[in-house]
Amino acid sequence: MNGIHDMGGMHGMGPIEYEKDEPVFYHDWEARTYALSLALRLGGQFNLDAARNAIEQLPPADYLRMSYYEKWFIRLMNYAILNGAVTAAEMETGKPAPGSARAIPGLVADMVHGMIAGGASARHNVRIKPAFAAGQHVRARNMNPAGHTRLQRWRVCFPRHASAFPGRQTSACVFSTVRCARIVGW
Amino acid sequence: MVVVENTPEIHNLVVCTLCSCYPWPVLGLPPVWYKSAPYRSRAVIDPRVVLREFGLELANDVEVRVWDSTAEVRYLVLPERPAGSERLNEEQLAAVITRDSMIGVAKVKLP
Repeated sequence: MNGIHDMGGMHGMGPIEYEKDEPVFYHDWEARTYALSLALRLGGQFNLDAARNAIEQLPPADYLRMSYYEKWFIRLMNYAILNGAVTAAEMETGKPAPGSARAIPGLVADMVHGMIAGGASARHNVRIKPAFAAGQHVRARNMNPAGHTRLQRWRVCFPRHASAFPGRQTSACVFSTVRCARIVGW
Repeated sequence: MVVVENTPEIHNLVVCTLCSCYPWPVLGLPPVWYKSAPYRSRAVIDPRVVLREFGLELANDVEVRVWDSTAEVRYLVLPERPAGSERLNEEQLAAVITRDSMIGVAKVKLP
């Protein structure tokens, strides 16, 4: 998707604001949003690329205005409702409705470490023979599918620089859950 | 995960231009500046100026390599061993290494 999230190489975003010894979370709701998001993802409610896609779908002005965890929070609410984990009415009231959906088994703290350490890999075993060898120079094709892709605009705009990464990354960095961003021979 | 080594001739810098991909299992959750629009937009087009803003001035003949870790591969910078650290053991070196040096926006300094 050709969106605001693809910001590598853009100007005008202002100075980098470095904060020494910053906290991991600034507010309790951020930690809660993080935990709930991982619980949904590790519970199979959505995968990594669906999660990225949801953030990329935000309107550009909202994307730039919202903090990182505000984006996560909006995504969390949308996915929880979309997947039937909660209803919009439950979200509004903050209280579960009688007979509302429950995760079975429920996620308890003891399960979390193992799930994070061993789960959530986005790797898929596909029977597609790699078109390029490790270390081979490639040039990104200028194509802009409306769906999710990991092809950055700077790789298209500056093709010679795009070739400066090892082939090992090639298969991983340019792909899409919706439609493949293809790469062509140099 | 791919570890990229800094040398006197090459300096590596890690960014994620599309979102905020980061080696969570090793470095924990990323700082806000790493996830911010200014860092993500400029690290790939103006890395020397970005590094200068972090207080890291590189000589002109040092090659800067920027790694855009926007998919499943994560990058970690192996910083240069600081001068005078030859006799330090692993534990002592671990005490002086910083998160920022493993992102590539700082060098390791002895206290």
